[in-house]
Amino acid sequence: MAATQFVVNGLLVGALFAAVAVGFALIWGVVDIINLAHGEMVMLGGYTSYWVLSLVTGNAEGSPLLFLATVPVAIGVLFVVGYALQRTLVSRVIGTDIFLTLLVTFGASIAIQQLALQAWSANPRSIRVAFADPSLTVAGVVVPKMKLVAFVGALVLTALLFVFLKQTRTGRAIRAVAQNPEAAALVGIDVEHTRAMTFGLSSAIAGGVGSFIAVILNIQPQMGLIYTLKSFVIVVFGGVGSIPGALVGGLLLGSVEELVAGFVSSQWTLAVSFSLLIVLLVVKPKGLFGEGVNE
Amino acid sequence: MSTETDDSGLLRSVFPPDQIDRLFRICDAHGWKLILAGAVFGALPPVLGLQSGYYMTVLSEMYLFAILALSWDIVGGQTGYPSFGNMAFFGIGAYTTAILVKDFAVAFPAAFVVAGLVATAFALVIGIIVLRLRGHYFAIATLGVLLAAQQVSRNLDITGGASGKILLETPSGTEFYYLFLGVLVAEAAVIYYLSGTRFGFVLNAIRDDEGKATAMGFNTTYYKTAAWMLAAMFTGFAGGAYSLFNTFIDPQTAYNGAWNVELIAMALLGGSGTVAGPIIGAFGLHTVIEVVETYAVGWQLVLLGLAVIVTVIVIPKGLVGSLREYASQMEYYKHGGMAAADDSADTDDSAAGGDSP
Repeated sequence: MAATQFVVNGLLVGALFAAVAVGFALIWGVVDIINLAHGEMVMLGGYTSYWVLSLVTGNAEGSPLLFLATVPVAIGVLFVVGYALQRTLVSRVIGTDIFLTLLVTFGASIAIQQLALQAWSANPRSIRVAFADPSLTVAGVVVPKMKLVAFVGALVLTALLFVFLKQTRTGRAIRAVAQNPEAAALVGIDVEHTRAMTFGLSSAIAGGVGSFIAVILNIQPQMGLIYTLKSFVIVVFGGVGSIPGALVGGLLLGSVEELVAGFVSSQWTLAVSFSLLIVLLVVKPKGLFGEGVNE
Repeated sequence: MSTETDDSGLLRSVFPPDQIDRLFRICDAHGWKLILAGAVFGALPPVLGLQSGYYMTVLSEMYLFAILALSWDIVGGQTGYPSFGNMAFFGIGAYTTAILVKDFAVAFPAAFVVAGLVATAFALVIGIIVLRLRGHYFAIATLGVLLAAQQVSRNLDITGGASGKILLETPSGTEFYYLFLGVLVAEAAVIYYLSGTRFGFVLNAIRDDEGKATAMGFNTTYYKTAAWMLAAMFTGFAGGAYSLFNTFIDPQTAYNGAWNVELIAMALLGGSGTVAGPIIGAFGLHTVIEVVETYAVGWQLVLLGLAVIVTVIVIPKGLVGSLREYASQMEYYKHGGMAAADDSADTDDSAAGGDSP
């Protein structure tokens, strides 16, 4: 029974990883940049929710609805941050050496993380939501209510992004730029703006997930790197540019980590997931979901 | 192009490109003498009476970072494989000496040599796997190696777990000063020597176009792995000395991800792909970081992040690379420059093209 419980826990958390990874994959696929500051967007999203709630209630505690109301705020704020990041920094290194793009985003990641550390101290914080207890129990498996809310929230965010990319004009522009920036420019798409939109959307979804993470886990300024790396593992696993791939990869990574944490020790999760990543990179570098280009 | 000429008019009259160019030529022609002079100059402070204390430690750390930056550059700058995991070799070297000296009572010099060898052996195993990857994948895989190594050290008993190891009976500060200086000079000499050999040229060829290098019949895997092992050896030596120098080692200091960025920033700031660049970058950036650490504790990493961003955007070729480009404008003007297309450049051409041989 323990294994089922671990897998359920893994799936619940895995959906959050997947939603973060989807944003990461979006930038990678469209702008061809590995955004090493992606995890920092999760962190900032979490803090946005935390501070908004603190401002309203005084102690970062509130009813579920009040908390859910802060999620769009985090999404909006992070959209602006992502858009600005692309416009001010990343656009200057697009098309140069891969290594330079990695360094710029890594530099941004360190700067954001350390500024957050200076501003908010290293203490882990979390948002407490009123109806968190008791947990639901389904066939002997314990499901904390907020984890379920976060799970659904992450899936909704992923689905919204998917629909946005498929249905809207901006979404089509983003996919056009992913396929061929020059041709996209020729048909009148503002490539720079579209790329910045991509960054904004990707950061927004990461920020929304950050809010949920602030409820079910906790947030602190240096949490970002782990989420960036997990996103990378997931994207490599699922194949670059594939949203379903990222979803499956996220759920799988969550399950594997929970199983390792449950049966071995939570100390080993990172080592195990990275060993898996390296094995996967060597054995099947294209990812499980094929050739990768987003259509 | 023409606006650039206007902007740099003052710069050009203070530091004429042909003078810079001449300086580079002198440096290129007397590389060995410069390395020797650096070694002698570096050996002076303890002789002149600086035996221990803050400045001694800072100087030793500067050499340490220069070793790390130079090692990173063998693979990152010369071969074009940007590693974010070099500190794994550092940690392995650090733990090797710490364990040998403390738990097995091995003499430090022997443990130091073993540290370099263990790091090299580890690099061989890891290199065979990760050097098959390129670009983004390589960068993140090496970062993964670093984090996995850190977590392994945190969980093992022999490494002292998360609380680390305290090392009390260590050689004096002066000995470490000379040790770091010695390793740095040796490394600079090796890289300078290699940069003129077939080995060095093949590494640069791999950076420029690995496919073509393979097509020319070079076994690139062999060269990449050898360069990676060379870098690991010197990083392992640095780590091996560092654990006793610091008298304390734990997973956080041994596999310090921030240091990994720091040494990349140093190599890049100075000019990657050169011998002098990483050393200059390490001395410069470490001085700045040390000053910030003294006057504004806690802000040094913010500064590091900003320094990385500014370097990448303003001088992506680094100090040495940008200067070299500036100096080579001389060549450009000598061969006519824009004069053929643009009359206004004519005077500039004759003024700058004066007397260089």
